[in-house]
Amino acid sequence: MITALTALGVMLLLTFLRIPIAFSMGLVGFLGLWWVRGLGPSMASATTVAYESGFQYTLSVVPLFILMGNFVTRAGMSKELYRAAYTLVGHFRGGLAMATVMACGGFGAICGSSIATAATMTPVAYPSMRDHGYSDSLSAGSITAGGTLGILIPPSTIMVIYGIMTETSIGKLFAAGFLPGILAIALLCLAVQYITWRDPKAGPRAERATFGERFSAFKDVWAVVVLFTIVMGGIYGGVFTTTEGAGVGAFGAFCFALARRALTWRTLLQVLLDSARTTGMLFMILVGALVFANFMNYTSMPADLKNFVESYQISPIMVVVAICTIYVLLGTVMEELSLVLLTVPVFFPLVVHLGFDPVWFGILIVIVVQIGLISPPVGLNMFVVKSLLPNVTTAAIFRGVIPFVVAEIVLLGIIIAFPEISLIVPSLMKL
Amino acid sequence: MKKKKLAGWLEIVLGVTSASVLFLMMMLTVVDVAGRYLFNKPLNGGFEITEMMLAALIYCGLPLVSQKREHIVVDTFEPFMPAALLRVLDILADAVCAVVLFGLGYMIYGRAVRVAEYGDTTNVLKLPLAPVAYLMSALIVIAGCIHLWHALSSRRPDASQHGHGSA
Repeated sequence: MITALTALGVMLLLTFLRIPIAFSMGLVGFLGLWWVRGLGPSMASATTVAYESGFQYTLSVVPLFILMGNFVTRAGMSKELYRAAYTLVGHFRGGLAMATVMACGGFGAICGSSIATAATMTPVAYPSMRDHGYSDSLSAGSITAGGTLGILIPPSTIMVIYGIMTETSIGKLFAAGFLPGILAIALLCLAVQYITWRDPKAGPRAERATFGERFSAFKDVWAVVVLFTIVMGGIYGGVFTTTEGAGVGAFGAFCFALARRALTWRTLLQVLLDSARTTGMLFMILVGALVFANFMNYTSMPADLKNFVESYQISPIMVVVAICTIYVLLGTVMEELSLVLLTVPVFFPLVVHLGFDPVWFGILIVIVVQIGLISPPVGLNMFVVKSLLPNVTTAAIFRGVIPFVVAEIVLLGIIIAFPEISLIVPSLMKL
Repeated sequence: MKKKKLAGWLEIVLGVTSASVLFLMMMLTVVDVAGRYLFNKPLNGGFEITEMMLAALIYCGLPLVSQKREHIVVDTFEPFMPAALLRVLDILADAVCAVVLFGLGYMIYGRAVRVAEYGDTTNVLKLPLAPVAYLMSALIVIAGCIHLWHALSSRRPDASQHGHGSA
């Protein structure tokens, strides 16, 4: 226990001293394993992790989903999604903010990144809300929060990483995110209703769309529907594996981007390069986290945590609540991906030992990451939206996201209380 | 000046390589799936090529990430640190990254030598693994050199750089 805690402390210290998280995790994991097992085993372990992670076929799902998201973002499908949602709910109070949330949800169905979703929706949704007299805090808040649907609604980068780290089926995780994703859209819309009920001027009604307008707007989102259906349908219909689905999805997105004339040689190279760099960065973190996890498994930490829980007779569900609380609190000040990679090796064995479903825990992890991404002061989504909207003050964004943070905490509570919401789809699909 | 030129040249080579590898990886998957269903002819051992491309992609990407300083850094306390301290910490951080990468590169090189001695190949296509392993270790060392160069030239990155694209 002492060894593991010291190691965790040193690692946190190194990260706070601005050593990249991948390197501090890898270094401490390596030194730690050297300490408990000797230099030889530690070198062998680190070498194997770094060498073999590169050669794992299933891991190629990571760059391919990233590539798909980047192509989709480049193709600019967010505009059509927003217009369709707008014609549907724009005439309600706060309707454009709800449309933003729904469009983000739709975009999340073809993109696995929260940041990309928020970034692609900002230039589409914000001007429209501004022109209709929406308050800055509601507009920015709804985009910031809506963006997080990108990782809850499949495909999802976070689910892929969680699946790889814990050897949980990525297909199951994707399926499990489906209903919570729809619930999240509903809850975020409720948050919009609450905001506009308190202050009707924050989100005035827009003009009602005619049936014809709705029809033509929905006709335009066919590309998104087709892409989602091919990828998810293919994966769950048994036509191809998740990895192949990612490749086919990336290719589909590439074709749509081509068809929309959104690609030149230059932008194509840019998209590929961005995806390659993101891949390199993620894998370094993955290697660091795996080295760290290997070390953690040799310490008494996992066993000690189990004993601790058992000796105090803490009820299993309270353990999960406590873990989630820790995540939400740490998530306000830490970068979320690092937080997950750091703590999953510690918490995951405990949660599984208590008899919980790893898929369900994965969904909880995604939701706490969502909360972390939009909770002040350190929320990556807020920074992304802020950087795209220089005229909106940080204070307005902070104020704007609070009701949405509450909505997502409610979502977390609901999924903890009713695991079925996440688990029913995978079990119905007999995954 | 000469170093700049070298860095730019390296960036182009690695960038074009990783971009093409990623594109080929996508196409290979599509051809594999299409071949299996449309022509009833799966690509034999296609996954082995994907695996090698993945290894190349990751480790070609690594020096590019280092070069652009895109490794995720926890910057929670940055606002509370004086600029001079940040400078020192950044130099230290780069030095640590360089040491870690040189160490890892050395270990992977050791693995590569063994792989070459045993003549390890992939299962189906019998492609030799040693060249990829040597490439890996070389690219890791190159990434280490980039960090070392950053540390020595103590180049301050743009202040507003956040790690991004991860979640």
